[in-house]
Amino acid sequence: MSLWDFYARNSGEVLGLVGQHVSLVASSTAIAIVVGVPVGIALTRRPAWRAPVLGLANVFQTIPSLALFGFLIPLPFIGGIGATTAIVALVVYALLPIVRNTYTGLAGVDPAVREAGRGMGMTDWQLLTQVELPLGLGVILAGVRVATVVSVGTATIAAAIGAGGLGVYIFRGVAVVDNTLILAGALPAALMALAADGLLGLAERRFAWRAK
Amino acid sequence: MAGEVTGGGGRWRAVQGGAWVLAAALLLTGCAHRDRIVVGSKNFTESDLLGEIVAQQIERRAGLPVERRFHLGGTFVCHHAITAGQIDLYVEYTGTAYTAVLKHVPVAVPDSVYRSVVRDYLQRFGLVWGKPLGFNNTFAITVRRRDAARDGLRRISDLARLAPRWKAGFGYEFLERADGFRGLAATYGLRFASPPIAMDLGLTYRALAQGKVDVIAGNSTDGQIQALDLVVLEDDRHYFPPYEAAPVIRQATLARHSGVGAALEELAGRISDSEMRRLNARVDVAHEDIATIARDWLKINLP
Repeated sequence: MSLWDFYARNSGEVLGLVGQHVSLVASSTAIAIVVGVPVGIALTRRPAWRAPVLGLANVFQTIPSLALFGFLIPLPFIGGIGATTAIVALVVYALLPIVRNTYTGLAGVDPAVREAGRGMGMTDWQLLTQVELPLGLGVILAGVRVATVVSVGTATIAAAIGAGGLGVYIFRGVAVVDNTLILAGALPAALMALAADGLLGLAERRFAWRAK
Repeated sequence: MAGEVTGGGGRWRAVQGGAWVLAAALLLTGCAHRDRIVVGSKNFTESDLLGEIVAQQIERRAGLPVERRFHLGGTFVCHHAITAGQIDLYVEYTGTAYTAVLKHVPVAVPDSVYRSVVRDYLQRFGLVWGKPLGFNNTFAITVRRRDAARDGLRRISDLARLAPRWKAGFGYEFLERADGFRGLAATYGLRFASPPIAMDLGLTYRALAQGKVDVIAGNSTDGQIQALDLVVLEDDRHYFPPYEAAPVIRQATLARHSGVGAALEELAGRISDSEMRRLNARVDVAHEDIATIARDWLKINLP
């Protein structure tokens, strides 16, 4: 059966899985931004935390996903089987690029600009929101972009823990070596990654341009 | 002057290096199947373990060097590899060959399944089935021991009355295969509250032990079943075909190396269900090294 026949016959299921996939990526990236950006900002204020925190985020990246799921299953609230566990794992993997780029974006602001702000009598909060964040936004967005594109690919492992998504076709295809099934999952995931990359790249250029 | 000498030396070394690479390449391609046996295995503990036992048995009995191509991505990868001559043998299960490779409708009669895979493999692929190793690794419909005790569960047919309140978690292969979930549900009239949760097979054991699902389909010889205090329900309507493990080998390899057939023959009927479960547990629960386990087992059982 060709790929197009497959899509024509299972269009409802395909759309459902695409929807699950998008919501897994969107919610995990949103959580990773809410957690990661403040952590990145905190690192510019407390340089001693930089090495241990980035080190920890690095270690998170290296945990194989099935091992991570194994650890998460017994945990209350953030564990079990289903979407919650998958989102927790995706957040863990998305943290590094967001934390690192937030730190780099803010640390890269010209010290002379920061001094000028301070000379004008700005508080630390004003300095952050009116000088550092606007100037560092391009770099921060680049981190979000990397995290999102990687998440689209990584979210296929959600299928290993009963959370659905396009990985379902990939896992089923691998189990019975059906290349059509594998492609049915991999192709939309690839298109989704390209779309996310394009959209966020547009936003990134826009904000980087405005910052200049 | 000095520069010229070094340059010449460098060129000579490059020529020498190139000759070695060429020789190695010739050795790898030309002689791949003449003087050594390539043993494959599928991507789970038991298959790796059996592959290692078979490999060591050939090494010590036939005196041939063995190359190991273990943990290949499942039944179809192994099947394609052996028919293409990339590997010489691997251990396969009769029921899997019968339903998944030959695409027959599942039947539960051990002798007829073995006879037909032997005949069809030889005719269609030029592959020879060795004698079964002795155990049957069937799909194991598995529940927690305390649930089985509380609800008086012994057979899969007992499950039908509980299913509407229970949650099932299955691996993708079990959900997809002809001898998998659909047929099981039809045979036993199982209707679960919600469709079974599709997940990674290895994770289903943990999910069951942690109470996240209530019934899974494991493998009957898995070491995890005893380690996690689980019980296997009896297939009282004989839905599952037999999955007897036996080495499958290329006819050409067998003809070229007479010692290999004799070495494999010695393994026939030597590994019982409980023995296989014990060996798997040594890898999965006690985390011992596969090569050591295989060496110990051969030393004790086939001195």
